[in-house]
Amino acid sequence: MNTLLLACLLLPLFGLLLIALLGTNEKKIATISFWTTHAMGLSIIVLLALWASNGFPGHEFEWFTLYERGNYRFPILFYFDRIGAAYLFAVWVIFSVIVRYCRNYLHREAGYKRFFMTIFGFALGLNMVVLSGSIDMLFAGWEIVGISSFLLIAFYRHRVQPVRNALRAYTVYRFCDIGLLLGAWMGHLLFHESDHFSNLAVLFADSAPPPASYPALALMSVLIFIAACGKSAQFPFCFWLPRAMEGPTPSSAIFYGALSVHLGVFLLLRTAPIWSYHYIPRTALFCIGLLTVVIATLSEKTQSNIKGQVAYASITQVGFMFMELALGLETLVLVHFLGNAFLRCYQLLVSPSIVAHMLRVEGAIDTDFNIKNTRMPDYLPVSIRDTLPEVLQNTLYVFALQEGNLELLVRSMLWAPLKQAGAKINNVSGVVKIVVGLSVLLMTWLAFTTDVINSLYLAAPAALAMVMASLSAFSQKHSFIKIWNAVAMSALFAAGAVWLLHPEALPDIVLFTTGIIPSWLLGILVLIKLPKQANFKDSPFAYRAMAETNPILSLLLFISFLGLVGFPITPAFIGEDLLLYHASSQYSWIGALIAVCFVINGIAAARVFLRLCMGRPLEISQS
Amino acid sequence: MKPVEFDLNVSIDHISHWLPVQGPIKDFIHHNTLHAVQHYPFHKGVAIAAKVFGARSYLALTEYQAMHKQGRIKDFAIDWAIKHAGVDSNNYPQLREKLFATDSTDHYPPVSLANHGVRNSWLTHLEIDLNSLVHPIIFRLLANFLDQGISRWTLAKPDESFLSCVWRLAQNSLLPLYPFNESSIRDLLNESPNDLISLCLQRIVGDESLYEQYLLEMLLAHPGWAGMVRLIELDPKALLERRQITLKELIAVELLAELAILNKKRGAKFINVAQTPHAAEIPLLNDYEDKAIVPLPLKVWHEAMEYSLHTELLIALKAPDAPVKAKEKPIAQAFFCIDDRECSLRRYLEELNPAIETFGAAGFFGIDFLYQGFDDAYPVAQCPNILNPKHLIMESNLRPEAEKNAVTEGFSDLHIKPHSLFKGWLFTQILGIGYAARMVWDVFRPSSQLLKIKKLSEVDAHTHLHLLRENDEPNADGQLLGFSVIEMADKIEGLLRNIGLTKQFAPLVVVVAHGSSSANNQHFAAYDCGACSGKPGAPNARAFAWMANHEPVRDVLRERGIDIPASSYFVAALHNTSRDEITYFDKHLFAQYPAEVLQIFQNTMQQALQKNALERCRWFELGPQKHSFEEAHQHVATRASSIFEPRPELNHSNNLYCVVGRRALTRDLFLDRRSFLHSYNPDSDADGQIIVKILSAIIPVCGGINLEYLFSRIDNSVYGAGTKLPHNVIGLLGVANGVEGDLRNGLPSQMIEVHEPSRLLIVIEQSTQVLDKAFANLGAPLKEWLDNDWVRLAACHPGTNELFFYHSTGWEPVELPAGTSAPTADCSENIIVGQRATIPVHCLRRSAA
Repeated sequence: MNTLLLACLLLPLFGLLLIALLGTNEKKIATISFWTTHAMGLSIIVLLALWASNGFPGHEFEWFTLYERGNYRFPILFYFDRIGAAYLFAVWVIFSVIVRYCRNYLHREAGYKRFFMTIFGFALGLNMVVLSGSIDMLFAGWEIVGISSFLLIAFYRHRVQPVRNALRAYTVYRFCDIGLLLGAWMGHLLFHESDHFSNLAVLFADSAPPPASYPALALMSVLIFIAACGKSAQFPFCFWLPRAMEGPTPSSAIFYGALSVHLGVFLLLRTAPIWSYHYIPRTALFCIGLLTVVIATLSEKTQSNIKGQVAYASITQVGFMFMELALGLETLVLVHFLGNAFLRCYQLLVSPSIVAHMLRVEGAIDTDFNIKNTRMPDYLPVSIRDTLPEVLQNTLYVFALQEGNLELLVRSMLWAPLKQAGAKINNVSGVVKIVVGLSVLLMTWLAFTTDVINSLYLAAPAALAMVMASLSAFSQKHSFIKIWNAVAMSALFAAGAVWLLHPEALPDIVLFTTGIIPSWLLGILVLIKLPKQANFKDSPFAYRAMAETNPILSLLLFISFLGLVGFPITPAFIGEDLLLYHASSQYSWIGALIAVCFVINGIAAARVFLRLCMGRPLEISQS
Repeated sequence: MKPVEFDLNVSIDHISHWLPVQGPIKDFIHHNTLHAVQHYPFHKGVAIAAKVFGARSYLALTEYQAMHKQGRIKDFAIDWAIKHAGVDSNNYPQLREKLFATDSTDHYPPVSLANHGVRNSWLTHLEIDLNSLVHPIIFRLLANFLDQGISRWTLAKPDESFLSCVWRLAQNSLLPLYPFNESSIRDLLNESPNDLISLCLQRIVGDESLYEQYLLEMLLAHPGWAGMVRLIELDPKALLERRQITLKELIAVELLAELAILNKKRGAKFINVAQTPHAAEIPLLNDYEDKAIVPLPLKVWHEAMEYSLHTELLIALKAPDAPVKAKEKPIAQAFFCIDDRECSLRRYLEELNPAIETFGAAGFFGIDFLYQGFDDAYPVAQCPNILNPKHLIMESNLRPEAEKNAVTEGFSDLHIKPHSLFKGWLFTQILGIGYAARMVWDVFRPSSQLLKIKKLSEVDAHTHLHLLRENDEPNADGQLLGFSVIEMADKIEGLLRNIGLTKQFAPLVVVVAHGSSSANNQHFAAYDCGACSGKPGAPNARAFAWMANHEPVRDVLRERGIDIPASSYFVAALHNTSRDEITYFDKHLFAQYPAEVLQIFQNTMQQALQKNALERCRWFELGPQKHSFEEAHQHVATRASSIFEPRPELNHSNNLYCVVGRRALTRDLFLDRRSFLHSYNPDSDADGQIIVKILSAIIPVCGGINLEYLFSRIDNSVYGAGTKLPHNVIGLLGVANGVEGDLRNGLPSQMIEVHEPSRLLIVIEQSTQVLDKAFANLGAPLKEWLDNDWVRLAACHPGTNELFFYHSTGWEPVELPAGTSAPTADCSENIIVGQRATIPVHCLRRSAA
């Protein structure tokens, strides 16, 4: 069974690598994807059968320990139970269908290879999430799913709109990663070694007093809810899902119709013991679900495009799942998940036939879609009988048309303040920055050579510098190198702050910087190598289409971007976890700040990548 | 420059000239994508359009060079093109050298008005991405206002105009309509559209001489929606559910939204367009029109390619005639649409049974009417869109239909409506898992029938068309219900004279319309008959057969000299071009027909369809490599019903020639499905009246198809719709990328990817003298196509087969390279073996075999 678990995880990776190395033409890619998909399907079936014959046990498997130092351990840990089984089953069915579908559907499409690589990357991330045994593992899979989703939304990179929507989705993902990042360290903090999913239920069932205080559990619940809401497009993040329907239809179907959108539900199922311990988080979850259902139902009514309509219908059902979860109906949720995933996937796949269906089969246009409020006037006073329903109808329509104004709300609450703060920092002249920087350095030097200042107190300025660097990167528009440097600086300041707090954690910090510094330097190298005629000052908003004019540089930039944001390909991924672990063990507010900064850095770096690599190339020489 | 008085209405007329004219997706009317520059010569027009829209003008240099290497572009054609390039003969060698230079960036789109005009440089200066902020809002409002049935709440009230609808939402709702939520902006909505526009323009642009330029650039940032609005304004009946909207209203709302957003982001005192630094240096529309440069090497390559491909046909036409055999009396005649997809089917029919004679005519068979099938909600026009039909034909059922079972009916199509709330909750719980099975079944075993959408060939045989008019009272819309006998006779006579069939009728005449069935295809209308505005031509064929069989009509025709003998019968049929199936209509009348001939015809047709399927299969890379006829036929049928197949057929992607003349001219040619074929008897048209009629149908229809394919192929992301894979259906109006994109015009890449983008070559079998007479009567809009070279035209002298190219300056004798002759073959199957690309015209030595 352990081998099968590993096979489920490694086969997509194997497929991804094979396609990357050997996929020189469409036929080879199709053959590779056919065999890996079915090998994966086979291992899933056998795994499910074996598990069933063993009597449906919860199965935990620790492969090896990736990193261990002091109290900290990062094991590669798997866990399989009925929740995982339901999800794995859905993955098998939908993934096989989509791969078969795309064999013909993407025939002759530019980017055939890119598409299949991304979709295998997605399967890898998905299986990692589904089979993960701890929040850390889940976070790694979560990131992979996020990046592959980002790449597929921006699949048609010639057009501005997919690129912009990719960034929008990535921003929401990234923001919600705060939830998981902080959730992971709270897990370490509260449950120590016992943050394995297998132990959670036991932990909560056995001990009469809860393993942690109510406020701590409540905070952790909030973090988990943030993560789940972002991934599943629940209130207040409903707006990104319809806008993410930019890639080829089957990719929209598998991501936003079927699997990715239900990952939030999965996270909640996995962490149920934490948030279901008290009725307040439960009520909060129920309210999130209810709000989502109301907003998404109304929004769906005025979607005049078919994919948006399916997206909102799907969000509504996920909202119901949240409510069912809050009521503790886990089995119902699993059934509901399977039903919704298959139905929405099918709906999206056949969405182009809506024209033929409406015109040829129904042969009826615009029938009984009007808002009906025929009886309502009877209950109203005569004086407003004619005007009030009209006003209400308009109000309802405006609400639905603007999809509850959630996007504006999120923008003005979250992004606008960050942008404004960053712009202020960027307006500060260079001299001031240098003076401040030098004085900080001087103080650090003083702290180490003399005993005038305790190094602990220096962590605060370092953290502040980190925040400022992040904000500066976030609102910088004119210079890509400045953004890149600011992002790297922010990461290094974070490392510095932790070092000042915990000088003995130096090896962990070095581990973190071994991921960050090479990525940073690689990125700088690429940015320096950029063609000279690309005049960034004059048109800061142009997309530079490097993926087409210079694919190698573009790939290098992508890799360094992944490294810089702590994607699980460099040690920086574990380093990130470690930094938070160390920071928060003493001063949790610094941990929170670091997490926020990582998120902002990710968004800023993604923007650099998109601006440089996406877009349609333009005739440079004017004849 | 003296200040120009700004007149909004005049400006809107100027601007709308540059907008695309593609109607809602239910119809598909092919047209010249670059109609805006049709009054310029072809190359000049393309160059201007490239600078305005930011599109490529030609294929990439490397593509032409590759075609030359493969032998698709001949050396003699390069010489010919250089000679016709209009450069001094001393420069020939240099030009030739340039053709083979390497340049990897030449196929990138140019710096253009649409992407780099004054508006853009102003926005860059302001550092605000206005389009990304305003477009989603405007598109949402437009899509919901114009929606034809996808949205579940209808926004527009009856007879409400767009502006008053926006006013209603902004002024009369408890929630603010973003971005019109500030009172200073909202109050502007009370102004008349003219005042509103000039107030906004004053604030945003500030200089009257730039107003028109600004509006043009603003609309070209979303040509799809702007063009759709203009089209609906001019032709409200393009929508089934009428909406009142004008381009002016769109401009007003959009400008106001821009102003609102600018105020929000940059305060009330932002720099306007006229104040932008260096604004004066940016070229305006006039500069683009004057200064557009035709890239000479690419132009030469393009002309060389066209000349190479065109001469393939011309050489074959010039081939010495095979000894004319005494023509035996045909046992059956078949009328087909001129469509290039029917070209091969006709060849196979005649190859299999020489006693079958075929004719080509525009697929509405000369009968224009509105048609309402008995379960259709609305009548649709069954004719090219240049005609305005005045007759309505209704279909009725011959036997009362059983009431549909409402319950099961609802269940089978559950997935179409994403009903979301409690019903949806229940359905997803109970039925959702069932969809796993359905999905797996549809993807791994494509069924023959998907989504309960009627296959074309399943049109009920038990229906009846009300053709004969019972009274002359027009209905509420001013249409006449049915035709009178005289009108019918006019229609029948018109077509028969056009195609030159006035005597020697065979015992069986089959009128074959065509349509195409496909699953999961938004653009299904583009696959149907172009001469019927993107509908299957079945009603026209049925009407034609009924009229021609109708005894009083025959009496009138007899008086006019067309004697259809009592032993001749007309049968209507429909060829499904994607599945290669044929359906015969009105079977209950078959008893009257000569059963034996009908049987022979049907058998021959069946074989011909299988051969046709095999010939089409050579294009499908993922089809089985080695076919039997049955396998091939099975493959094309499966293809048309697979939900994952973006190419149910390749449609017109081979189109290149249009031959107008007697079938004898092309009967022995293998044209590789590249030619529109119209029958025409040069002998019966001494004064050129018939050819004028024919040309006024084929130039817009065939020329439109050709140019739409050509431009969609040359720049698929600007002139075409891009790949269809991410397309999302918006309001049953069109497709867009994602949920908030602009409508995409033109053809998706899956339709044009194998197309060789050359202009149409029309070959007319007629003397130049008669053609000169005919062209004098052609009318300016059509003459423009010929004189500006948007289509190529050659005359083929009847009898001698001498060829002449038409130029606006006169006729040029075609000088074909000496010593070349068309390849020959014994039969079509030998030609297509192992071929995966287009095949040059072959001569078939059928008569010898």
